[in-house]
Amino acid sequence: MNGVSAAQRFVPSAQLRPLALNVVSIVAFLAVWHFAAAIVNSPFFPSPYKIVQAFVTLATNGDTMGNSLWAHCWASLYRVLVGFAAGVVLGVPLGLLMGLVPGLYTATRSIVEPFRFIPPIAWIPLAIIFFSGLPRFAFLIFIGSFFPVFTATLVGVARVEQIHRKVAIAYGASRYWVLTHIVLPTVLPDIMGGMRVALGAAWLTIVAAELSGGTSVGLGRMMVNYAELLQIPEIVVGMVLIGALGFAMNEILLLVERRLFRWRWQVTL
Amino acid sequence: MQETVKVRADITHRYGDLLVHDGLKLAIRENEFLCICGPSGCGKTTLLDIFAGIIKPSAGQVLIDGEEIDPKRHNISFVFQEPSTLPWLNVRDNIGTGLRIKKRPKAEIAQKVDDIIGVVGLRGFEGYYPHQLSGGMKQRVSIARAFATDADLVLMDEPFVSLDQPTREKMQREVLSIWEHRRRTIVFVTHNLEEAVFLGDRVVMLSAKPARIVADIPVDLPRPRDPVSGAFTALRARCAELLHEMHIDDGVNH
Repeated sequence: MNGVSAAQRFVPSAQLRPLALNVVSIVAFLAVWHFAAAIVNSPFFPSPYKIVQAFVTLATNGDTMGNSLWAHCWASLYRVLVGFAAGVVLGVPLGLLMGLVPGLYTATRSIVEPFRFIPPIAWIPLAIIFFSGLPRFAFLIFIGSFFPVFTATLVGVARVEQIHRKVAIAYGASRYWVLTHIVLPTVLPDIMGGMRVALGAAWLTIVAAELSGGTSVGLGRMMVNYAELLQIPEIVVGMVLIGALGFAMNEILLLVERRLFRWRWQVTL
Repeated sequence: MQETVKVRADITHRYGDLLVHDGLKLAIRENEFLCICGPSGCGKTTLLDIFAGIIKPSAGQVLIDGEEIDPKRHNISFVFQEPSTLPWLNVRDNIGTGLRIKKRPKAEIAQKVDDIIGVVGLRGFEGYYPHQLSGGMKQRVSIARAFATDADLVLMDEPFVSLDQPTREKMQREVLSIWEHRRRTIVFVTHNLEEAVFLGDRVVMLSAKPARIVADIPVDLPRPRDPVSGAFTALRARCAELLHEMHIDDGVNH
């Protein structure tokens, strides 16, 4: 029945072409890196091969303290997910509330807005005093991911078109129906966009948070440990893994977005 | 023929000091196609909002079957001037919006939506989203949404004003054919006299603000009407004359 979107859903050449181009880019990038490392020829500039070696060693034998690479990844990922979830769970309703109750945001703007400019890293000293373990990291990531979600939701509510609200009211809808069937569908794309920004902020924060101590696992922690040993390849492995995990989570969100918002003409990057 | 009054309105409405409607009295028969015409800015859209129960008049009331209008209790349908399809719903779900708000059973919604899709000629487009449709088709979806419910009252606010002339004429004929399939009480607002005379059982002419009814003209031309027939053009000319006189009055008054 759904002729048009079925055609849009999968066009092999349109999807495979960017994939092929990206493979070419990666190979080119690695080649340039490899030759640059060969020319410089210094232990402070490891070649891609050295990184792969370090990765394999870490993955099979664990680090110098006996923690597996998997444990480091999972620790960071878990903290990111908990803090990020808290940011979304609080950011969306608060954004809706501030957006829907007239005057609430304008009346509290001078309190709400300055918080946005205090970076998560600036909360680390307080977090060290008040929390330890998972709550500390989750709190810092929550700080980083709350505002992107909150702000995007707030902005999205302003996008609700009066005519759509009027349709619902004319046909006898309750306020709750308007919220769930008019406001939410309108704001959802903004919320998803905010979530992807929040995810970036979450990964930025986790490394800084783990550097602040209070843990023996986590990718940030692992990188600091190897910094003290001046082992650069292992540090780069940590960097690559953070990039890869963040990228993977972003792709998952994008996939959800594309499925959810087929009604839009385009999905932003 | 037995004719029952479906809607009875007696409306006086103010915006602050501005008197918009001055004791406007209307009785609309069941299944009547009523057209309301008037100079621009005479408060036609506000009048429809009052009919829909979205705005409460400063004085007076609108009664449907003897009860005060309430969109939560009565089945009111509204076709707006601007595109009002919900962009995140496909054609089928857009048409079912009114029925879902009324919490009708799923099977009934599916049945009624399917029936009306056939009537408005959107068969095959059920899964399309509004951005994939032309302006005329989007308006057809809004009209289908309005006729999918067992509406007590269908309100139409210049629904074809943004369409090009051929599409507009086509849509006028389609609305008539839908109305012939699904008899409903319709209030159709337009500033286009030809449209009013072509569509309506009756044309009510409003004055400029404060709006009063200056003429209530039954259109007893047989359907389908021929806009170039002598009787049609004569009636249309009479309406135009009334409208013209109003503008002169308007000039004298101010």
